[in-house]
Amino acid sequence: MRPWAERQGQFAAALCNVEHPMPPGCIAPDGLPDATRFAVYRNNVISSLIECLQASYPAIERLLGATCFREVAFRFVAEAPPRSAVMLEYGAGFAEFLAQLEPLAALPYLADVARIERAWLEAYHAAEATALDPAALAAVPEHRSGDLCLTLHPSMRIVQSAFPALTIWQLNIAATAPIAVDLPTVAQDTLIARPDAEVEVRALPPGGAAFLNALGAGETLAESAALAGAAAAEFNLTDQLTALLGSGLITAGRLKRRRTRGH
Amino acid sequence: MSNRSASLLVAGALATAVAALGASAAQAGMPMNNANPRVRTMAALKSGKFQQCWGVALAGHNDCYAGPGTTCAGTASRNYLGNAFKLVPTGTCTAIHTPYVTIAHGHGSLKPITETGA
Repeated sequence: MRPWAERQGQFAAALCNVEHPMPPGCIAPDGLPDATRFAVYRNNVISSLIECLQASYPAIERLLGATCFREVAFRFVAEAPPRSAVMLEYGAGFAEFLAQLEPLAALPYLADVARIERAWLEAYHAAEATALDPAALAAVPEHRSGDLCLTLHPSMRIVQSAFPALTIWQLNIAATAPIAVDLPTVAQDTLIARPDAEVEVRALPPGGAAFLNALGAGETLAESAALAGAAAAEFNLTDQLTALLGSGLITAGRLKRRRTRGH
Repeated sequence: MSNRSASLLVAGALATAVAALGASAAQAGMPMNNANPRVRTMAALKSGKFQQCWGVALAGHNDCYAGPGTTCAGTASRNYLGNAFKLVPTGTCTAIHTPYVTIAHGHGSLKPITETGA
């Protein structure tokens, strides 16, 4: 008999891909191999994974239509079977899968909308964190405020898109009839976070994504503001800080030690 | 722009943001920020604006307590479990329709439901 791990591997590979034959050693109660029984079992597994993707990507399902979504999800399941028993996390990489699918090339915004839906799910299940009281930052001496390093809320995600991905997402998760969206004119950056019980999704102002990405990478307030200003001249630091602190998306702050220079 | 004036800009922005938020927090009476879902559920119940409604939660969307052997929020294994509840605005529970006519005649219930054969 072949090693158990090898048999499990074959069984798992055949479970999510209908092109695989029934793995050897699968027998019905009568002791004989039964490909029909295995097909029923496999169909249940694949269907449940497709349903999981439907639950995670409702806007994509609406954009593609139920039939097309099932077909796309069916191919994704075959290519990316779950690596964990926890279905909460299934579907990572769906956006990238959509982006490279040739029949969907006419819908270039699809992947970014999927990224928003994925970010929503990740934010929903992300760790809780207590917001920093803005008053705590009042104690920072004026000449050191540029050296502040701010810790962002663990649920925070940013999706940058060359398309109005946020508007498309909003129109397709609501029950109302979608309106026409002018595609080439607007690029939208989206902030997704869950500071409290509800996931919040909102548009980022120009430079906002550059600012948050820099803060998230551990840059100081001064460096992050400079990077954001370089990305968009109209970047407004006061508004951005007020919004972040006000919605509880900063959880900690610390001063970066300055390298001592001789003067 | 010199380093000096850049750091003054950052300091000004920070001071303005902190001042604006300090004023609004004082007006609103500091929002309660509790990370524990169980405590949040209790707080929502105490406010009188919500009540526990059994048999209407979708799988994984129950608020807390899904019966013996489970822990807490988000654990109900299938839709409309009779022993899982959802917090709903007071007065709306029994008006909620569910597809399970065997459970409380297809409505939400203000008490946990013992399922006889759903």
